[in-house]
Amino acid sequence: MRVDRSWLARAGATIFALVLLYPFTALFAPIGPWQWSEDIRGPALSSVRVSLWLTGCAMVIIVAIGTPVAAYIARCRTRERLVWQAVLLVPILLPPLGLGILLTLAFGPYGTVGACLERFGIVMTNSAPAFVSTQVYVGMGYYVLGAVAAFDAVPLMLQKQAALLGLAPWKVFLRVTFPLSRLGLAVALSIAWVRAIGEFGAVVVTAYYPSGMPVQLWVNLQSFGLPAVMPLLVVFLAVALPLPWLVHVLAQRQRHA
Amino acid sequence: MLKAQIIKKRREFSVNVSLELNKGKSLGLFGASGAGKSTVLACIAGIEEPDDGYVQLGHCQLFPPSLPLHKRPIGYLTQEPGLFPHLRVSENVSFGVPKERTTDKEQSRWIETLRDRLQLGPLWHAPASLISGGQARRVSLARMLARRPALVLLDEPFAGLDRQLVRELIDDLIFWSRTLGFSMIAVDHQAEVLKRLCPEQAIALEEGEIVQRGRWDELDAAPATALLRSLLNPL
Repeated sequence: MRVDRSWLARAGATIFALVLLYPFTALFAPIGPWQWSEDIRGPALSSVRVSLWLTGCAMVIIVAIGTPVAAYIARCRTRERLVWQAVLLVPILLPPLGLGILLTLAFGPYGTVGACLERFGIVMTNSAPAFVSTQVYVGMGYYVLGAVAAFDAVPLMLQKQAALLGLAPWKVFLRVTFPLSRLGLAVALSIAWVRAIGEFGAVVVTAYYPSGMPVQLWVNLQSFGLPAVMPLLVVFLAVALPLPWLVHVLAQRQRHA
Repeated sequence: MLKAQIIKKRREFSVNVSLELNKGKSLGLFGASGAGKSTVLACIAGIEEPDDGYVQLGHCQLFPPSLPLHKRPIGYLTQEPGLFPHLRVSENVSFGVPKERTTDKEQSRWIETLRDRLQLGPLWHAPASLISGGQARRVSLARMLARRPALVLLDEPFAGLDRQLVRELIDDLIFWSRTLGFSMIAVDHQAEVLKRLCPEQAIALEEGEIVQRGRWDELDAAPATALLRSLLNPL
């Protein structure tokens, strides 16, 4: 009997997706009626605003700094590149709680940099700058490592051909390297976004206030129990997923345009 | 005039080649695969940096120090057409034309001339990623010529193409070299291609060293080495 391989692959992928999404069936667990009263809704919606706005700021910083750094690392010789990659791995392999503690000690009022920043009115604990800087530390490694891989996938010869056609290096980047690595950059950005917006361990130490969604989930769990967690989880999925997904959609569209 | 001495260490041997080429003239670099021909060309183009030596094109010092690629008035064609897959054929051809000149009437006429002469009309608006290998070579030739280079370097640009297309492309290159007056260095391991493309002079290389230089009839009449004799013999 002949088996259609494409169907076999699709069935395999479907089983994979079902297993991956299985934990979400717990949203229908019998935990009693979900709570979404005013005293829960108010802080929850405020945490949504905080998470979206401040994670957005963190992503702008990550892209602005991470993209040129990734472009540089992609052109490095193997030995130097390995050093950079180790540097990038350090903050992302550390347990988030550990990273949060280190960030608080380094940027808090008792650290040299923290004290210096406070003199300029920038408070680096329980503040928006603390929230954003924590997310930058959490997401930067993911973005840069992904972006390096994306730049690596663009044939070097194409970039040299573009230069020989009279384009200065920054124009080669804009007209060749960036368009051809767009999909990989989109993946890197979406991973950084997902990692940062869902960050709890580091943020709970550095920026309990203003509370983002993960911290608010914790507060709801502690104060009201599971029925107050579930609606916020749904809201979290609804607001955090569209942006990285849209980035993928745009990158795919441009690729096939 | 091009004056160059290329010294470059390879894994098995060192390339050491010096050459001179007058404006508008052509030169064939001939030798077996791996003799160092492409290294010489890549060093002149700036794709690779020589370990020592010099490269001077007219009043323009290309090396040392190494002049950035975008400042070199050089056209470089290889076996890989190297088209930008995210652009259309027309955009590939105009790629090297400065933005401020794209609306220039003379420049537009020049691009149209290239399009018509190289028969690119039917695929002008097609995505570069969807055209055939032969068509891609034509597009890459047009893209190189659009900038009116002073020196054209050809690294086996006809490999894998059928004889009819090779003949057409060679005729096109000869036509444009006469029209634009550029100098040309071509690399190939097929003598018949080089004899047609660069009939005036040739340099034969073996393991990075020049074993003979002169006119093709001189090489044919008295090849300096047994390998060269074997390479020059028709199949």
